[in-house]
Amino acid sequence: MGIIQCNDICKSFGPKVALDHVSVDIPKGQIFGLLGPNGAGKTTLIRIINRITIPNAGEVLFDGRPITQEDVQRIGYLPEERGLYRKMEVGDQAMYLAQLKGMSMKDAQAELKKWFVRFGIQDWWKKKVEELSKGMAQKVQFITTVVHRPSLMILDEPFSGFDPVNAELIRREILRLKEEGATIILSTHNMESVEELCDGIALINKSKLVITGGVDEIRHRYGNNNIELVYTGDTALAPQEGLFAILSDENNAGRHTAVLSLDAGVTPNDALRGVLGQPVAVNSFKELIPRMNDIFIKLVTEE
Amino acid sequence: MNFSIIKTIIGREYTTRVKKKSFLLTTFLVPVLIGAVAVIMGLIMAKTEDRAQNVAVIDQSGIAMPFLVSGDIYQFTDRSGESPEEMKTKIEAEGYSSLVVISPLDTVAKTVSVQIFSPKPSGVEFSGAVGRMVEDAVEDYRIGTYNIANLGQIMQDVKANVKVTEYTLDEEGGETISESGIYMMLSMILGLFIFMFVTMFSAMVMSSVIEEKASRVVEVLISSAEATELMFGKIIGVALVALTQFFLWIVLTGVIVGVVGGVAGLDFLKEQDPQQVMQMSGMSTDQMEALGLGAAADTTAVAPGEPGTMDVLTSTLSHVPWVTLIVSFFIYFILGYLLYASFFAAIGSAVENEADSSQLQIPLTIPLMLGYMILFMAFRNPDSSVVVWGSMIPFTSPIVMLARIPFGVPMWQLILSIVLLLVTFLASAWVSAKIYKAGILVFGKKATFKDLWKWLKMK
Repeated sequence: MGIIQCNDICKSFGPKVALDHVSVDIPKGQIFGLLGPNGAGKTTLIRIINRITIPNAGEVLFDGRPITQEDVQRIGYLPEERGLYRKMEVGDQAMYLAQLKGMSMKDAQAELKKWFVRFGIQDWWKKKVEELSKGMAQKVQFITTVVHRPSLMILDEPFSGFDPVNAELIRREILRLKEEGATIILSTHNMESVEELCDGIALINKSKLVITGGVDEIRHRYGNNNIELVYTGDTALAPQEGLFAILSDENNAGRHTAVLSLDAGVTPNDALRGVLGQPVAVNSFKELIPRMNDIFIKLVTEE
Repeated sequence: MNFSIIKTIIGREYTTRVKKKSFLLTTFLVPVLIGAVAVIMGLIMAKTEDRAQNVAVIDQSGIAMPFLVSGDIYQFTDRSGESPEEMKTKIEAEGYSSLVVISPLDTVAKTVSVQIFSPKPSGVEFSGAVGRMVEDAVEDYRIGTYNIANLGQIMQDVKANVKVTEYTLDEEGGETISESGIYMMLSMILGLFIFMFVTMFSAMVMSSVIEEKASRVVEVLISSAEATELMFGKIIGVALVALTQFFLWIVLTGVIVGVVGGVAGLDFLKEQDPQQVMQMSGMSTDQMEALGLGAAADTTAVAPGEPGTMDVLTSTLSHVPWVTLIVSFFIYFILGYLLYASFFAAIGSAVENEADSSQLQIPLTIPLMLGYMILFMAFRNPDSSVVVWGSMIPFTSPIVMLARIPFGVPMWQLILSIVLLLVTFLASAWVSAKIYKAGILVFGKKATFKDLWKWLKMK
């Protein structure tokens, strides 16, 4: 049972359906990717989890019981459209947002100081937000999202607007928070970071849930049973009826890199045995799994 | 509703505003300005005597001169023997501000004509005053020509009656402020204050809602607090700013007027019950000017034995129901503000910049302007039915009722009006919260009344 369970959520705005019977189970302690093209309904789902929007039907369970406003205090939310009070001092602003999340003034002050030191931005405390660059403001906003030690964080495109150095800083912080036991919902279009960070995903397209599950499991499920084989031999590998076909074979001074397409029902073991029966020396034998990016494009354009 | 969160929201709304330079500036500058105006008015009044105009008169009719009575403002000198042409050339040289030439008596038409010559335009007031005095002379002459016993006496009696009526209707040369004049001024000022403050602070709530929406900070806020908490936290926070500003204005104006009074030697403060002075400075700062003005006139213009301006003022002011007035001022300000501020917050939630809000504001500015217009009617006739209705209908009552109170309002009407206002506020709060909740998250399109209606019906 996950920390967040969305059961059969429906939401429409007038005639426009934003979510159509969407059920997602987000396991505790994971980084969970919420994927989908623009306008698919991700933000609506995030707002429903945050209790900003009330669904027309279905329910959200937090730790197994219907979510309440008190639970929302344990969520940290970084919206895609960032925003801070422009005329307010960074420190005052961070204190305000922390206190809105239920922290005491003393607690908020101590925690914020720690985060400001960790991010190397101690001397911004007295600066006004309008004096900060976009990237600087993003750092402040990230801190205000996580300062109250939420057990669930919802980060919508957390890396956008950061330079590579700061994006790496944020990436490390996200992994560290996960290690500390937090659950993180990551909504992003960056499939590389999904492969790298996420344990599970849900893909929403046109208001409907298309697929949900573990990242590895999904990648294997959408693999088309291809093997990348590197071998050495004077003659090229021949395709074997009933076992595999050869999609490509590159010969580089006797060292070949080939892609084999296994026939239906054939296991990699069978295929390897077949290969070993031929006069070649096997250097490497690796299952080819598709990239998340390809799966995403395939699933979204298929319909 | 989570009260500790509302408290946090109120705290931010309050402190960020009170810390602003513009807040400090208005808080300190307004009493200083009022003090400055009071000093200037005082000085002008004190100087009136010195500025009494010397007027040369050539009376060729032989009847007018006794009626040209010298006073504080005009000093008439009889130069009847001299030639008008010659006199004209030396008006300034002899220290006159103007020359009045009265023609020889036309015994057929039984009248005279008056010509006024002056280097600078002498003003309507002066020509009017001279005209009235000469008319008196001609009337007197005409009465004399009738051969009726005691006619002069009869006419005098009639005239005296007529004069009493005029006395109340027009304030002759600012000599006396009649009782209803003071009431009118007081009610006018109070009504205007409520109008101004309700408009000003409601607009402050609206632009603050728009700011949160435009800067997108609202999405984070709304994930921490409920929409209603945000809205009411903001409305209450701004209300506290308003009350702080009032309080500081009262104290500072009191201090400044006290100092000014001491420096200018206007010892009227001593004549007043100190508490009453405090109340007056709080109720209406202009009132203090009126006092300063009245006191200056008192010391300079009123002859011993006559009832002075100050006496009229004190007796009038002591008849004003101060406690009712002050309590009502705050009740009506707060309720009127809450009513309008909640609607303005809803409108703010529907737009992303102030320019887009003007169309949606129309249904709110119309009742406000209506209240403002009825206020002017109350000023003339506080018991007319439009005014009474205006003081009952919640959208205009905060402005109109305040204008009625100095003239006296039956308690049941006052209570009914307040209850109606309170009930309407509760309804407006409910409506506004619904619109606010939906509007605050709608971006990228200009909202119309249809959208507001749709949001209102949304669950």
